Amino acid sequence: MATILETAAGAGCFNTLLAAVDAAGLREALESPGPFTVFAPVDDAFSALPPGTVQTLVDNPPQLARILKYHVLAGAHNQAALVAKEQWDSLEGAPIPIRSVDPFEVKNATVVTADIACDNGVVHVINRVILPG
Amino acid sequence: MTLLLPLLIPLAAVLALPLLPNNAQLTRRVAALAGFLQLAAGLLLWRQPPADLSVSWLPKLGLSLDLGLDGITLPLLLLSALITAMAVIATPVDQARSRLFYGLLLATNLGLTGTFLARNALLFVLAYELILIPTTLLVATFGRGLRSSAAIRFLIYNALSGFVLLGVVLAMGWLHPGGVSFAYADLAADQFSPVAERWLLAGFLLAFGLKLPLVPLHGWQPITYTEAPTPVAMLLSGAVSKLGAYGLLRFGVQFLPDTWAAWSPWIAVIAAVTTIYGALNAIAQLDMRRLVAYSSLGHMGLLVLALAAATPLSLQGVVVQMLAHGLITALLFCLVGTIERHTGTVAIPEISGLMNPYRGLPFTMGLMLLGLMAAAGVPGLAGFVAELLVFEGSWVAFPWPTLVCMVASGLTAVYAVRLFNRVGFGRLDNERADWLNTTWGERFPAVVLAGLIVIAGIWPATITSFSEASVTPLALRQTDLVLTANAAGAEFTAPELLA
Amino acid sequence: MTPPTALAPEAATKPLIPPSTHRYADVIHRLEAGGSMLPDTPENLKQIIGIYKAYAVPMDFYWRDLLYIAEQVFLNPIPAFKYFISQEYLDRPCSYAGDQSKLRIWRGGEKAHPELLEFMARGETIRMPKLLHHLWHDRVNMEFAEACMQAMLWHQGMGGRFNDYLETDAYRANADRAIKAYFKRNPLMLGLYKLFPEMFLEKVKQLSYTANLGLFWEVMAPVFFEMSDIYDEGGFKGVPDAMDFLVNGIFAVAGRPIYHHVFIDGECFEIIPKSEGFTWLYEAALPYVEAVFYRTAPFRGTKSYNAQAGQVPDNQADFHYGILYADVFPVGSAGIPPTLLMQDMLHFLPPYLQDTYKQHKRGEDDQLIQLGITFQRSMYNVTSAVIQALRCALLYPLDDPNPEHLMANRRFFEAQMDRFLRPEARLPQIQTQDYR
Repeated sequence: MATILETAAGAGCFNTLLAAVDAAGLREALESPGPFTVFAPVDDAFSALPPGTVQTLVDNPPQLARILKYHVLAGAHNQAALVAKEQWDSLEGAPIPIRSVDPFEVKNATVVTADIACDNGVVHVINRVILPG
Repeated sequence: MTLLLPLLIPLAAVLALPLLPNNAQLTRRVAALAGFLQLAAGLLLWRQPPADLSVSWLPKLGLSLDLGLDGITLPLLLLSALITAMAVIATPVDQARSRLFYGLLLATNLGLTGTFLARNALLFVLAYELILIPTTLLVATFGRGLRSSAAIRFLIYNALSGFVLLGVVLAMGWLHPGGVSFAYADLAADQFSPVAERWLLAGFLLAFGLKLPLVPLHGWQPITYTEAPTPVAMLLSGAVSKLGAYGLLRFGVQFLPDTWAAWSPWIAVIAAVTTIYGALNAIAQLDMRRLVAYSSLGHMGLLVLALAAATPLSLQGVVVQMLAHGLITALLFCLVGTIERHTGTVAIPEISGLMNPYRGLPFTMGLMLLGLMAAAGVPGLAGFVAELLVFEGSWVAFPWPTLVCMVASGLTAVYAVRLFNRVGFGRLDNERADWLNTTWGERFPAVVLAGLIVIAGIWPATITSFSEASVTPLALRQTDLVLTANAAGAEFTAPELLA
Repeated sequence: MTPPTALAPEAATKPLIPPSTHRYADVIHRLEAGGSMLPDTPENLKQIIGIYKAYAVPMDFYWRDLLYIAEQVFLNPIPAFKYFISQEYLDRPCSYAGDQSKLRIWRGGEKAHPELLEFMARGETIRMPKLLHHLWHDRVNMEFAEACMQAMLWHQGMGGRFNDYLETDAYRANADRAIKAYFKRNPLMLGLYKLFPEMFLEKVKQLSYTANLGLFWEVMAPVFFEMSDIYDEGGFKGVPDAMDFLVNGIFAVAGRPIYHHVFIDGECFEIIPKSEGFTWLYEAALPYVEAVFYRTAPFRGTKSYNAQAGQVPDNQADFHYGILYADVFPVGSAGIPPTLLMQDMLHFLPPYLQDTYKQHKRGEDDQLIQLGITFQRSMYNVTSAVIQALRCALLYPLDDPNPEHLMANRRFFEAQMDRFLRPEARLPQIQTQDYR
């Protein structure tokens, strides 16, 4: 199996996310054994944000890292485990609510593909960038 | 002949107004001109005191055109001329049926002028009765919602007053020891029998007590002042009501001095009751116009207290208080009228925040504060001078009633502050505050009245020095308090108090 | 009632969710259609853009001076000259205007706005030394800006991590270093610091909020300038366009770092370093809107409140003295912050707004109130932008096909409108043009 980042790179639809992870200096952390649960927004999710949003974040790594950490949980949790709780604390600190089981919705994003198992965790592909608050 | 000018000017205007085209602007100008001309004539008479005028009219009835002015009536004449002019200007420019309205206002002024100029009791009565008709018509025709019941009450009380007065004056003339005469000179010169004096004074007290009014004869006053249009309320409270005090001074203190002196303790009590009654009622009012009406009632009590005391100082106080009260109530009614015209209400609970500099009526409220302070007797304003003279002059004669009146005067501050706090301060209602600011045209009458209140407060000697000579000889009690060294009363320096 | 289906086939498509029954259902439906709380009329558009312009010029001073105070004046025990901003800060390049900016929002220059400089030189009176302008109060009223800062400081916990960080040991250590460095030649103040360390810390916290607000407004001034320029070109079609510009602006700068640096003898002390990851949206904008638009505190001089009689809410979250609830009519009472702001804006009104005010109510005599109410309208539009931005960030698109998602949006909008149910709210008034 591959690591989370390798899996993402292989999929080809996470270019923005990977670039952001690099810009925020989180690559090393995400390559560590973890394990993590990552909600990975697809490229379209980033491009749906109003113009300038991503650029400002990329220019300010600590702020970008904070937003990215909101997409990560400690521990490997598959869909079945996630829906057991109403909300999970992200690495950023703010909680991520599980809004719906079928379809599987995390905060205001819908999980497109769940339970992609990796060496150091689980990836759930989501269709929207989620933001704390 | 200059004495006839103050009479002829309003008479000419009254006669001319119906002939003018029905143009509110034009009639307003004519009426205002008449008021100012009369004022100018009055000032002319002040500069050059005229000789008395006597023209035989109906000698069989004892009626002759005896006209004259003294230090008591001249200030009143000026006051009534001024308030008439201000009332005309305070009338809305688009007054309906303006010829009738201004005609009636000037007819009232004509009657008032007649009473002040008269040196003959019958002439006085004639002029006194003349006032009743236009004032009743003004209230009945141009008043507010309850005008008909206000006019009926006004008519009943004042007709009774006039009827009683006519009877007493006729009796007085006929009972006159030196043969039938109505001339003031004769009436003042001779003594009536004690029984006659008592009956006559009872009649005068009733007649003038209704006019002032005094509690418990005041039933017409609050409703009339409330329902009357603003200029009419100004004229009624500012000038017409002074007739009551003037009448008591003339017919009571001057012509019936012994009985007056004997009854004065009771009169002082009635005065104190009136004063405290007016003040307490004013505190309870929720309607600004009624508040001013009760405030006026309370201050009339002060006049009567001073008359009862009849010391040189208190009689000075009567003259000053008549002027001060005339200016102050006219100002307050004028301002309340302005507030109503702009905000659409005079209900105290409905408005607040009028001091707001941008959307309130700050200028009007500023003058309102001045008027209320003057009413409460704040030093530097006309009310203070008047009340000081009244209290100081009356204290030596009737300490207890004076004390009550002083408490009532203190209560003036209570309702003044209450009114100002509720209406001036607080939150201006956004929904309601959709009016324009006052124009200088609207402000003019209030500015003039307020200016005179200030001048009279700072420089009261203008009035007192003029009235002192006329008033002091009428005093029934002497005190060692004298105002100026050249006063006629200065010779009575012995503290012989007839308490 | 049968709709003429032949004429309007799209009218036949049924809405996915039933209409709202909220008291402000009309406003909610407008928000759901991508509109603003403020009705879309040309008059409203003209008023809000005009006032944004008038607001932006003094704001250009506010943010520069706030940063000057937070970074340079710092703990000066006698800060008599804190409003005498240095040339360096007047020329400080705005991060969102000018050629040097990474994200250029306003097309204009990066230094202080020319109209501002002109006013600072002349004021309402004549050219005279700065000190005389200051004493005559013929100047930009920083007191308003400080009142906003104090509202943020006082209400504190309004989302974001900023306030929590002020309680951490890291912050205390940073502040301690800065305080000691600042007073290193002042044994008296150092002694006082030994005696009353908490007092000094509290002052530093206040200065951190000062920096926070300065960084917040550094964004808003160019946003408003640009909106004014776009409007002058005929760029906005209606109020929703203006709101969308604000929504996009909010997203574009959401990730801007919020920090507090202090410069002592040329050395930079990072009291709140950028690396803490504080963002413009979470640590500045949202607390600002909550503290200033909604809550603040009763201003002295406007009305007396009796706390014992329950006239002031027990709970700080229920405070409702912000511009969205403000009774603009007491404006004019001397020295109260709203009056100071209105006075500041009065100096920079665009001519078309002056003409509008001349035609209504008391004309020039009550311009302060008329522009205050315009300001209220414009802030309802800014609040609408914040609400739409939050909806966009946390909820679902307005054209989401899923009725459940639309209902979630509906609940969010209704919850926001619930805040305007209290009688003081001016939302009903701004729906008509009569409220001026």
